[in-house]
Amino acid sequence: MSRKVAVVTDSNSGITQKQAKEMGVFVLPMPFMINEETFFEDITLDQEGFYKRLESGANVVTSQPSPESVMDLWKEILKEYDEIVHIPMSSGLSGSCQSALMLAEDFDKKVQVVNNQRISVTQRQSVIDAKLLSERGMNAEQIKEFLENDKFNSSIYIMLDTLYYLKKGGRITPAAAAIGSILRLKPVLQIQGEKLDAFAKARTANQGKSIMINAIRNDMENRFGGASADNIWLMVAYTKDLEAAKQFSQELLKEFPGFDLVINPLSLSVACHIGPGSLAVACSKKIR
Amino acid sequence: MTNTIDAKILAKMFLAGAKNLESKKEWINDLNVFPVPDGDTGTNMTLTIMSAAKDVAAMKDIDMLSLCKAISSGSLRGARGNSGVILSQLFRGFTKSIREKEQLDILMLADACDKAVETAYKAVMKPKEGTILTVAKGISVKARELAEEGCSDFTVFFDEVIRCGDEVLERTPEMLPVLKQAGVVDSGGQGLMQVLKGAYDAFMGKELDLSISEAPHTESGKANAQPDIEIKYGYCTEFIIMLNRNFNIKTEMDFKEYLESIGDSIVVVADDDVVKVHVHTNDPGLAIQRALRYGSLSNMKIDNMRLEHEEKLFKESQAASEKAASEEPAPHKEVGFIAVSAGDGINEIFKGLGVDHMIQGGQTMNPSTEDMLNAIEKVNADTVFILPNNKNIILAANQAQMMVKDKKIVVVPTKTVPQGITAIINYVPDLSAEENEENMKQEIHRVKTGQVTYAVRDTVIEDKEIKQGDYMGIGDSGILSIGGDVSDVAFRMVKEMMDEQLELISIYYGEDITENDAEQLRAQIEREYPSCDIELQYGGQPIYYYIISAE
Repeated sequence: MSRKVAVVTDSNSGITQKQAKEMGVFVLPMPFMINEETFFEDITLDQEGFYKRLESGANVVTSQPSPESVMDLWKEILKEYDEIVHIPMSSGLSGSCQSALMLAEDFDKKVQVVNNQRISVTQRQSVIDAKLLSERGMNAEQIKEFLENDKFNSSIYIMLDTLYYLKKGGRITPAAAAIGSILRLKPVLQIQGEKLDAFAKARTANQGKSIMINAIRNDMENRFGGASADNIWLMVAYTKDLEAAKQFSQELLKEFPGFDLVINPLSLSVACHIGPGSLAVACSKKIR
Repeated sequence: MTNTIDAKILAKMFLAGAKNLESKKEWINDLNVFPVPDGDTGTNMTLTIMSAAKDVAAMKDIDMLSLCKAISSGSLRGARGNSGVILSQLFRGFTKSIREKEQLDILMLADACDKAVETAYKAVMKPKEGTILTVAKGISVKARELAEEGCSDFTVFFDEVIRCGDEVLERTPEMLPVLKQAGVVDSGGQGLMQVLKGAYDAFMGKELDLSISEAPHTESGKANAQPDIEIKYGYCTEFIIMLNRNFNIKTEMDFKEYLESIGDSIVVVADDDVVKVHVHTNDPGLAIQRALRYGSLSNMKIDNMRLEHEEKLFKESQAASEKAASEEPAPHKEVGFIAVSAGDGINEIFKGLGVDHMIQGGQTMNPSTEDMLNAIEKVNADTVFILPNNKNIILAANQAQMMVKDKKIVVVPTKTVPQGITAIINYVPDLSAEENEENMKQEIHRVKTGQVTYAVRDTVIEDKEIKQGDYMGIGDSGILSIGGDVSDVAFRMVKEMMDEQLELISIYYGEDITENDAEQLRAQIEREYPSCDIELQYGGQPIYYYIISAE
């Protein structure tokens, strides 16, 4: 009889509390400080309320889940499950992973923290993969190992509508910070491994989209073993503007006909750094 | 008659060619097809040849090898504009062929002409016929023909070669329709002919003012005919003799011989009833006394060059040390950018996009290869991208690329400022220089550019009649609109540029346009194209009222 494995992630995965229940996974809400008041993503703060505050110029600060909340959740889950696979947001973007690794030391290998540097839609895909692997009979340690070996098999490109929030936030590498200009530019960022970094710049949305499409095709062909529907998950993420995301999805499906494509809002902890109106495309290699 | 040419004669011929070109500069400028107030062919070619002439004029002991080196490297460094670059390549090929010789005969000249043409054709990516290249080729073919016929008389040789060059030049409008329509011959070809004609005059012993001291527009403001060495003769003495007795070849020779015995840098130009005299001597009185034999004197000017020289040296060293103190070395980078730019607004835009060094110029004055080399030196990077941003500067940039050995230079052939902006926006730090070059070259064709300026003379282009002072909207491949109102011309130009694919219109307004006028144009364009993003930026560029791009 194989051991019973629970999959835990945080709300950066874009998985809502409701979806989590349906999928049979657990989602730790990320806390936000907005004008010194604490909110929890998808618990006390929805997307609409968040953007309203962000655009009104409120001071939005992200934070990681408190150790207490993490350990309480784990303890609660372990009453029912034998082991936990914990998939936090990328260690390059938050200290959550580091903290979780530390906290897990007190749980006698029952909690396996996955450091696979995913965020948003690709983090969500990791959660789905973990669930699948546990159903296939892997234990928590094997799942962790599998996901970490798989960590470079995904990439994300995000086009920003404005540089404003990026400059304000500061959680970017110097290369990205240098793209200051009088001109209205739409920077395209990439998340590859650890860092959120500048990839390219565009002057118009269509230019930016075509840069992203070319980049993601290049990744599929040269890194993930081919741009085919049975090999690749395609994902679109956005901040605030669902219509634009749908439109972009149609355009992507013309480029990549027959692909599995999901649309998800970007998590608020990413959104507060890049602002509304961003569009992202991501892909990850399907597990066999 | 002499049947060989030595280094001294060749130097004299070169200087005379340069001077003649300079004197015909404005006339050649007027031959430009587009009547835009640009860096013109005559000016560009003159600046190119003057850069070499300065070096040649400063030479003390002239031998063939050092003369050839001076002509070649001086003109390569000074090369500006397409015709200037081609001229410098002609000189490079020519001098390469003769540098080991002491005396030149006609066969050697024919070889040198062949080499010159071969080198120049190679320097141009897509050689176009009906240009300076065609004229040069015609000359080299004629030279070869004469040499093979056994022609040994230089007078006949030069005569024939120049006549042939003129004939080819006259035929250039048949080869290039734009020339025919504008009713002109090729300006670069005309420039080359003027160099040859000046050289021929010097060969024939016609006395010419060969002092290069008044070359205009040189970098330091004033040309430096005097090298920084000790001055042998201290007083620069100039005057004009108003002749009251016969001044024939014989008296001229006598007079010059006398002047040579008391000084150097002698110029004696006789013209009907006046003689212009220039000599460097330690005893100006002797020159004046002798001159009084021929007539009365006027416009007398005597300068103590030793004092001036010291002052100049002092000022130069002062300036150099100040400059050194103010310039901190830039930190080393992997990749750097140089852009040719004009206008404080455009400068700021390029700076914001990460350009390390701006070369001023582009619209009114084409920077030389040497300006490029200086800029490259200032950018402390392993790979340097150059954005020429003007089609008449690309060749000079390519030339600089070939002369730089310690850095990798990538010239992105941007023909306009918006193309330059597009190129640097598309730079991706993660990619290799080659990938970036390829990518930028593709992307720059996605942006259309239109520029509004005024016509400097009447002409007809593409069946459009243009009057001097008209405003013209010039697109990537021709004139889009003409008229008397600058905003209207700009607006109609944009309408010509637009198609359904385009989604962003950027307007960069020049120094002669008020923000208010520019804003009104923006609003007008916005009403016409409500689905487009319109961006208005202050460019501050001279000459071009508006630079507008659509992408």
